[in-house]
Amino acid sequence: MSIEHGVFVEKYDLLGCIQCGRCTGGCPVTERTALNVRRFVYDTVDDSRLEELSESPDIWDCTTCNTCAIRCPKGLEPFEVLLGLRAMRAEEGNIEQTAITALESMFNNGNPWGKAAAKRMDWAEGLENVRVLEEGEKADVLLHICCTGAYDPKIMPIVKKLVRVLNAAGVDFGFIGTEEKHCGSEARRLGEEGLFEYFDEENTELFGRYDVKRLVTLSPHCFNSFKNEYTNLALPVQHYTQLIAELLEDGKLELTKEISSKVVFHDPCYLGKKNLVFDEPRYVLGKIKGVELTEFYRSKERSLCCEGGGGKMWVESESKAPRLAETRVADAHDLGAQTIAVACPFCWLTIEDAIKAKGFEEEMQVKDILELLDEAL
Amino acid sequence: MKIVVCVKQVPDTSDPDTEVHIDSSGKGVDQGKFSFVINDADNYAVEEAILLKEKHEGEVTVVNVGSEAANQVIRMALAKGGDGAIRLDDEKFAGSDPVALARILQSAIKDLSCDIVMTGCLASDDGYGAVGVALASLMGVPHAAYVKTVEVIGEGKLKIGRELEGGLLEMDEIDTPCVLTIQTGGNEPRYASFKGIREASKKEIKVMDLAATGLSEDQVGEAGSVAVMVQYSVPVVGDLAEILEGDPGETAGKLAGILKEKGLV
Repeated sequence: MSIEHGVFVEKYDLLGCIQCGRCTGGCPVTERTALNVRRFVYDTVDDSRLEELSESPDIWDCTTCNTCAIRCPKGLEPFEVLLGLRAMRAEEGNIEQTAITALESMFNNGNPWGKAAAKRMDWAEGLENVRVLEEGEKADVLLHICCTGAYDPKIMPIVKKLVRVLNAAGVDFGFIGTEEKHCGSEARRLGEEGLFEYFDEENTELFGRYDVKRLVTLSPHCFNSFKNEYTNLALPVQHYTQLIAELLEDGKLELTKEISSKVVFHDPCYLGKKNLVFDEPRYVLGKIKGVELTEFYRSKERSLCCEGGGGKMWVESESKAPRLAETRVADAHDLGAQTIAVACPFCWLTIEDAIKAKGFEEEMQVKDILELLDEAL
Repeated sequence: MKIVVCVKQVPDTSDPDTEVHIDSSGKGVDQGKFSFVINDADNYAVEEAILLKEKHEGEVTVVNVGSEAANQVIRMALAKGGDGAIRLDDEKFAGSDPVALARILQSAIKDLSCDIVMTGCLASDDGYGAVGVALASLMGVPHAAYVKTVEVIGEGKLKIGRELEGGLLEMDEIDTPCVLTIQTGGNEPRYASFKGIREASKKEIKVMDLAATGLSEDQVGEAGSVAVMVQYSVPVVGDLAEILEGDPGETAGKLAGILKEKGLV
């Protein structure tokens, strides 16, 4: 791939970098990999080195957790440089086979999981009155489930709980159905800019078919893409925790049952560090009777990434050091937490794995906030 | 070097949740809940063809028998480096066995004066593994099946490695023109980027119907086939088979118990 002179310098404002090193200093994956994002920002100033740099396996270690961006005193987004290098690899077709499988499935099926589009609503099996909106149909909320919620057998039950909670609050909501597609977030994180642009266009057109007031997502990753990366989406976008916080505040959702559990909330990077939504999930958890809410030492802006985002579901790091999710689980264990509450499908999956890896299944569980709400109804 | 690579679009059955049901005719499979992809071995054939082109120059033509929906896999092959494509599309082609399919393919390939024709070694849907070999026979050229490595060793001569059981690689020399049926695993198929696929949409896909092939109706479809598919059936569950019920945690536990009981672990 030929890179025109100065493209990286301009696109990522590389000359704005003062090489202070706050990015690498806070980068969570440096605990287990050799990634040095400051170095990449420095080296990519030299166009002649881009090809060589794009071949470094280190560029795939980044989870795009946004820590480097949130710490940068110059307001840069250092990790975006790594995505630019990934994009060079993707455009040449020279990427990991696992990433190829995911990207080809996004193109063929509209999801990265190799699942048929026709099975996208299988999560709703057994539920009555799941409303799939017709073209032009009115609803207050259009719910976007996206791929992990629609197809992962461990996350599919959580989507059902979202339906139950919203029904309990009397929300007027509907789904797209089998035509729903991947938000494109993970396509972009795997370096596939073109495929992301395709999803941007397709989904914007798709959402425009319905007469809805807002778009609500299950995953913070879709939330971020729709809210910050789509070029022409007019609909207001919310993560489900924001909607539920509103419902609780307005007295539309009543939580009657008590759950006796010490709960620690793990901030999903794309909700917290990326979009600064810290309060709503905590507000929602605080409304559940019996919940004793505790905090990680590293929380909110300093929250530790679980390594589920940034395309990492499909590209494994070479490091054999303990995963960050295991560190997170160990921290929760030290706090005496019985429940790690999450609000993201990727976090749910990585933390569940880590609980098993640490052998803490008897002592603690990962639960999406929706699972706790469902129990509290 | 002129290379033709034949590709087939097949249902993607790699997902363990894929539902395969025989349709009401008993001669087909309900395709309603399938997604479609390039046949796995054909994907490796495309990569091998592109690698040869990159090393020795020349051109790669992608050939397919299929409906317009198959443009999806053709465009992906074009995005990876294919130069042109031919799609053979006529409802009278339905029901063709491997020999009739090879005849249809040959009708398009014969005028291309190519050095190498590549196919996948086996289609994942019907599993015949016969089209490439039948094609070589119709073309009157030598063939090699289950090829994992291809090397040009001189004018009109290739050294190829065929995968045998136990991981053995049989090295052969073969003259061109020839047909090679490509085994999976010999290379790493590259990714066709979305931009590449969009760009490839500008390349022409020549469509040929029965009339354009110069074949007659009795040479294609069931009429032109030596084997005719009569009926699909699902094997009856035998007495010795025990189906473990329950969620993955339960079934894994039961399986571990059985393996232990039988002294296998």
